[in-house]
Amino acid sequence: MNLKAIRILFLKDLFLSRRHLFAYFVGGLAASALACTPNATLAFVGFILVMTVAIAAGIHLIGTLMLAETTDQTRLFVMSLPISLLDYSIGKISVVLTTYLIPWTAMFTCLIMATFVMGKQGNIAVLPAIFLFLLCAFMLQLVTAVVSESVGWTICVMVGCNVGMNVFLMQLFANAEVAEVVKSDVLFWPNIVLQIIGVELLIITVALATAVLFQTRKRDLI
Amino acid sequence: MTTELDSSTGTELAASMIDVSKSYKHFKLENIHLSVQRGTVAGLIGPNGAGKSTTMRILMGLVQPDTGTVTALGKSISSSEAAAKQDIGYFSDDMQLYKPESIGWHMQFVRSLYPTWDEAYATQLLDRFGLISHQIAKGLSHGQRVKAMLLLILARRPKLLILDEPTNGLDPVAKHEILTELMRVVEDDSRTILYSSHNTQDVEQISDSITFIDRGRVIASSNRDEFLEKWKRIKLHAPETWKAPDVEGLRLESCHRNLHVLSFSQFRDQVPTQLHEPGVVIEAVDTMTLEEIFVSSVMRGREGSQS
Repeated sequence: MNLKAIRILFLKDLFLSRRHLFAYFVGGLAASALACTPNATLAFVGFILVMTVAIAAGIHLIGTLMLAETTDQTRLFVMSLPISLLDYSIGKISVVLTTYLIPWTAMFTCLIMATFVMGKQGNIAVLPAIFLFLLCAFMLQLVTAVVSESVGWTICVMVGCNVGMNVFLMQLFANAEVAEVVKSDVLFWPNIVLQIIGVELLIITVALATAVLFQTRKRDLI
Repeated sequence: MTTELDSSTGTELAASMIDVSKSYKHFKLENIHLSVQRGTVAGLIGPNGAGKSTTMRILMGLVQPDTGTVTALGKSISSSEAAAKQDIGYFSDDMQLYKPESIGWHMQFVRSLYPTWDEAYATQLLDRFGLISHQIAKGLSHGQRVKAMLLLILARRPKLLILDEPTNGLDPVAKHEILTELMRVVEDDSRTILYSSHNTQDVEQISDSITFIDRGRVIASSNRDEFLEKWKRIKLHAPETWKAPDVEGLRLESCHRNLHVLSFSQFRDQVPTQLHEPGVVIEAVDTMTLEEIFVSSVMRGREGSQS
């Protein structure tokens, strides 16, 4: 493994995605700020926008940083350079994950801090479960993109994840323990939330391992 | 660097493929044997879909063969062997630059991966190719894109250049500029070029040795001068019912009334004598162009595989 090559590839992709990254970062912060307003309607719109930014950033970054290298034929140029498939794979998965995690972390941190300041601390218990669900969805799309190298299949998984997100939110807030903590001004962690977080972390780990494994086992680079 | 020698001639090899095969759903590369001597220009000629690009991609380690051994600059090639690619410059007509970025940005990116990058030579090439450093890749014409790509390859001073159809679709001036630059490259005896094209004129102009490939198989491989020397075309007048004698390397190319056109892949001085019989009048013994040799080789190969 050539760390210098991985760093160069990482920085190259980070530079190429700089405009999108900035837009998602600023958009994410703006949506989070809206979600924290005292007006219930505006807060709901803000929450929907936070979800939208997270979903859009995921599919867009996978599309532009991973799938576009094949369709735009820039991958052949990169792979002709002195880098191994392992260097390429680690660089690529790292940068896609990092660029997604920047707006994701900004939105998550912003909402946690706002919730804390506003005194509705019970809400803090559900935010990790919701944000980790978004990260799970992103990881599933990333694995699909790596394994299939297909825009079509990645979009199919994205649609499935979006539908799943709605079902997940409905089920989450329908739970009695969750409903109780959301109304509470004091933070406590219901068992169901901890179980959900555990499953989500497991999915993220397995998805990441699968993506790296599949990418590094490919025999033909183009 | 380990030196690989040609087992038959003892000359130093820059690249070799031994018994390489690769199967796809609708295409198969079969038992490819290819040797490229160090300090030479080797031409790979084949019709579209013959397997030139696949052969070159295997040699570059971008595609893994199902069987066979591939070596370049003394190192075994595989996708994980990044070090082998350090001294190899690869160009493919399918390659694209990052559209929103400039030529200068690409130069900086490639330079960061190559300690051998020659900035002065890169600047010279920018000038010779009529390129501007801050030109954005999206706005480049096809010819400019090819030149920019070659600049990025040549400025790292690779010991082996693998060029897949570099002159495809270029205007005559751009083609001349690129071929001239390639000739400059091989003035340095330690540098080698493997060059593919379906345009025989380009290959004939710069190649020392030539390999013909068709339908995934190598059908002929030799020194360029040997090709031109050994292949002859004979035009003769004979009765329409005349049957060509069984002479090694002979093929009847065409027959119109009593004019027969024959090609010989291993012409010797005694061939006209062998053809001599009552009613047969030899009109001319001509040298064949590389294109004619190529076409005849392909047709012979196809007839051979059908029979």
